Amino acid sequence: MQSTNFLTEVGLNHYLILSALLFVTGMTGVLLKRNIIVMLMSIELMLNAVNISFVAFSKYLNNVDGQIMVFFVMTIAAAEAAVGLAIAVTIFKRFKEINIKFFEHLRG
Amino acid sequence: MITDVLMFWFLALVVLGSGLAVILFTNPVYSALSLVMAMVGVAAVFVTLGAYFIAGVQLIVYAGAVMVLFVMVLMLFDLKRETHSFAAGKISGALKLISVGLFAGLVVGGIVMSQGYFVKENEKSLGAASATQSVNTVAGSQTNLNVVNTDNTKVLGTVLFSKHVFGFEALGVLLTVIAVGTVALARSKGGTHAKH
Repeated sequence: MQSTNFLTEVGLNHYLILSALLFVTGMTGVLLKRNIIVMLMSIELMLNAVNISFVAFSKYLNNVDGQIMVFFVMTIAAAEAAVGLAIAVTIFKRFKEINIKFFEHLRG
Repeated sequence: MITDVLMFWFLALVVLGSGLAVILFTNPVYSALSLVMAMVGVAAVFVTLGAYFIAGVQLIVYAGAVMVLFVMVLMLFDLKRETHSFAAGKISGALKLISVGLFAGLVVGGIVMSQGYFVKENEKSLGAASATQSVNTVAGSQTNLNVVNTDNTKVLGTVLFSKHVFGFEALGVLLTVIAVGTVALARSKGGTHAKH
């Protein structure tokens, strides 16, 4: 009964699992990639995964607060992307390279 | 009903596939394009969940603004050839993959084991709330703002500007600080490493 229901009835669990898998994909990107811009993209993926689970809970609990949280997460994500890219530009101006290994030389 | 199910599986495939493509492409420009695809897929997932306004905002903010920022910075750097795209070290890489896989299994297992526990709990408390709500509808308390149809943009605006108005204002301050800070950061010549 479990296996047939899983394919034909979409519920909260499906959205949560989709969110978890997308989050893990982004986490893999942050851990394994060495290009700072692709790492920032992976962080955006993780934030989007969290947004999916917020909206899913908001729908299945009939509570609109989850969607407000999505607004806040989106704003923070845009701000974080702007600051991260500004830092990447600064690093690139200094080292002509944006590989993560050049961040070792950041001594104050 | 069946279209909903097919739509969900199709969107899940699109989102996860383009999410994987972001980290598997070695050319960052292809990664950016895959990320746009993932963002559009996530917006479509929001539509299937009935959050139409959030879906529109997702398209404008991510697929519009943030991606333009990413692609512009990519084009600013000359990154046609990218050496050492993945982290060096086979053992540490394998350890990272194993830990990520364990994390995924843990989370998915937890979700499956919970079996809609949250929704059941909420229905129980909703039943109790509606019983008490019928008594004091005259008071027009805040509680009925929370329990509403979630696909209504007007309700979203009402809650945002009444219950969460402090967070909204704080975000305004934060965005101002970020805008000024970003410009200052991008204009600085090498920071503490400045030669002159």
